[in-house]
Amino acid sequence: MLARTAANFYWMGRYVERTEHTARLLRHQLGGLVDTPAEEVALGWRVVYRTLGQSAPDAPADADEAEAFLVADAYTLAGTLVEDDTNPDSLVSCWGMARENAKQLRPQLPLRVWTGLNRGYLWLRDCEFPSVWRVGPAQLVSEGIDRLRLLAGVVHATMPRDDAWRFLELGRLVERFRHQTALLDNWDRLGCVRGEEPRLSWADLLRVCGAYEHYCRRHTMTVRRAGALDFMIRDPEAPRSLRFAVHGIEDLLLGIDPLGGRHPLAPPHRMALRLAALVEAGAGGPARVGAGGAGREPREKELFEQMGRDGDTLHELVMSAYVDYPVAEGLPA
Amino acid sequence: MNAAEFASAGGAGNGRADAGAAGSGAFADYRLDPRFFDELFREDGTPRTSCRALGRALARIPAEELARMQDGVRRRFLHEGITFTVLGKEEASEHIIPIDCVPRLLTAAEWGHIEAGIKQRMRAVNLFLRDIYHEGRSLRDGVIPPDMVLGCPQYRVEMRGVRVPHDVYVAIGGTDVVRTDKGFAVLEDNMRVPSGVSYMLACRQATKRALPGLYREHRVREVSAYPERLYSTLVSLGSGTGTPRVAVLSPGRYNSAYYEHAFLAGEMGVDLVEGRDLVVHNAVVYARMASGLRRVDVIYRRIDDDFTDPVTFREDSMLGTAGLFHAYRAGNVVMANAPGTGVADDKAVYAFVPDIIRYFLGEEPVLANVDTHLCRSPDGLAFTLDNLQDLVVKEVGGSGGYGMLVGPQSTAPEREAYGARLRADPANFISQPVLALSRAACFVDGSLRPRHVDVRPFTLHGSDGQHVIPGGLCRVALQEGNLVVNSSQGGGCKDLWVLRR
Repeated sequence: MLARTAANFYWMGRYVERTEHTARLLRHQLGGLVDTPAEEVALGWRVVYRTLGQSAPDAPADADEAEAFLVADAYTLAGTLVEDDTNPDSLVSCWGMARENAKQLRPQLPLRVWTGLNRGYLWLRDCEFPSVWRVGPAQLVSEGIDRLRLLAGVVHATMPRDDAWRFLELGRLVERFRHQTALLDNWDRLGCVRGEEPRLSWADLLRVCGAYEHYCRRHTMTVRRAGALDFMIRDPEAPRSLRFAVHGIEDLLLGIDPLGGRHPLAPPHRMALRLAALVEAGAGGPARVGAGGAGREPREKELFEQMGRDGDTLHELVMSAYVDYPVAEGLPA
Repeated sequence: MNAAEFASAGGAGNGRADAGAAGSGAFADYRLDPRFFDELFREDGTPRTSCRALGRALARIPAEELARMQDGVRRRFLHEGITFTVLGKEEASEHIIPIDCVPRLLTAAEWGHIEAGIKQRMRAVNLFLRDIYHEGRSLRDGVIPPDMVLGCPQYRVEMRGVRVPHDVYVAIGGTDVVRTDKGFAVLEDNMRVPSGVSYMLACRQATKRALPGLYREHRVREVSAYPERLYSTLVSLGSGTGTPRVAVLSPGRYNSAYYEHAFLAGEMGVDLVEGRDLVVHNAVVYARMASGLRRVDVIYRRIDDDFTDPVTFREDSMLGTAGLFHAYRAGNVVMANAPGTGVADDKAVYAFVPDIIRYFLGEEPVLANVDTHLCRSPDGLAFTLDNLQDLVVKEVGGSGGYGMLVGPQSTAPEREAYGARLRADPANFISQPVLALSRAACFVDGSLRPRHVDVRPFTLHGSDGQHVIPGGLCRVALQEGNLVVNSSQGGGCKDLWVLRR
């Protein structure tokens, strides 16, 4: 496979995942607008904006971040993340970027995958956000999620498990790891103040991650901080746990570069193994999350920050190993 | 004149309504004009023999049903991304090419004539190109003015003496053929990077779905083998043992024909590369794969000479690959079409193609040329300037309908401005009479109406012989009275059915 094509598949995967992640956060946030106290709504927006790496809305000079979100109106906050095509992280921009990458993959992409992605983008682009806002914006993002899930199903059903699929999935899982790390970090950072009652529901965190029912079946419907965080880090079966993402990344890299294919092991593969070790250690080792009780401890902050940095490094290693490698290294033996 | 008037003048026959007659029933808005050959109807308003079944079928299909078909095709094209880009129109980078569901028909005899003419033309052009880059006999013998060839911007001095595999310079050609009341004629040769074949195939798919029974009934010749034929043509140009590795070289997704590049690469199962995906090392071309570099043997380039190699041609090109031409000269890679074929694309050289055919093949041209006045000659310039309002004036290196003046549709200030350009650089222009292009039935504004058409058949020329695909991109000027059929100028397309009988 062409290196650029591999990069296109990888980025398509990343953008599709980013779109779905943003939509999931928004679905939860917009769904709660009706009956949630204003302070909690503002806190929710802070989590959403921080997780997505967005700056806080404009506010008076003497207002801090919390006040800025308290005075900002939900329509503008949501619109920035849904329909604002000048914001590279909005739903329409991310979906558009996934489509731009897919457009360059037409020779390799099953027609139904392309049409699913293209129709979804055209649907979102042509949505009139002001009208949607009046009737219920959560429905819009819910439909977006449904379309993305359908697309994932078409990908699953139609794409052969070759390098094209591997790079696509690799992009998805690298993006998922980055975003889930940021989500867990911000939910914990903003929702949990040492010595106080939780300001954000841990059950809601599981709901945002699509893991609530799974957690209830596995454990109990009483969700506490330690259990929720531990579950979202180390459960091997929850599709949005960090462990699930890291193990998936490891398997995919093994498919791209089979064992014995390279000496020494390809740098991305080494980094994936390191991440796996970090996740395992975070779950059961000295840095075990939540072991100290309800409050956030400094080592947990460090753990998430380390995971974030390693996730970025993994991306750079994937690019330098498979896309931007020096010519001399790529020449046939 | 309305076709009903033709009919009332004595053209009506029994069963006209059943057969679908111009000026009545579903064809009530179909007005024949004696100035233009009509592809569907005779002058008396009755369908031509080969078109009777089509006329009957169209007469039976309600307008609402035709509208639904057109809309279904439009939506499918939108969802599948069958689009093109119009240069200079920032507000809408992606357009769907307007498709008309009503096919145009050509009989086996008519097609045989076109096919023979195109094959003959392509053979002669390949011999001509070999000659001008080697011995130059045709220039010495005065077949064509040497300064016209050597001064042509598309003449690549770097190609002098280069051995082109199998002497095939033009492997993929597109020839624009028009029909007037005098018969078929060639309007333009597209010998650099002819485009439109993907729309030909998409039109066929659309028409087959819309009119399956009619398609079956007509026993239409298939066009779907084009990608396979293209692949075998490209492979036939490769050298060495084993199956050569083929790639399609595209300028990238912002190019107007990007969909087509992707489509052809996908259908052939080869890599769609851009200049940045290729690396030249020791005069060998490699594609940058995820697993390392892999050699490329044959490149189907969809990029102009100028942009292929910044070392040899335009140094500001961001689209090409440094050293590509060096690898080509060294014989380590084949490019189709070969660099320098643009000379045969030049609209001034076009005027000499009949002489080129006579000189190299010793035959009379099967297909005529359109009368062409070369503005490089004082007489041609004077004639053109005196008759601007009646002529079509084109730049010799232009394409896509850009930079041309259609005299009868121009304003006095436009003609004045164009005249100034002509005087400043006469050798850059030719002029031709406004052609009475034939008209075919189209579904426009809710009813069947005649619109001007041409057709671009596609020819493949490899070491395994010549193949003209039995069909072509049938382009339509959808606005009433408009004679410019280019998609970049608002034209659409329709399917061309070449009948087996």
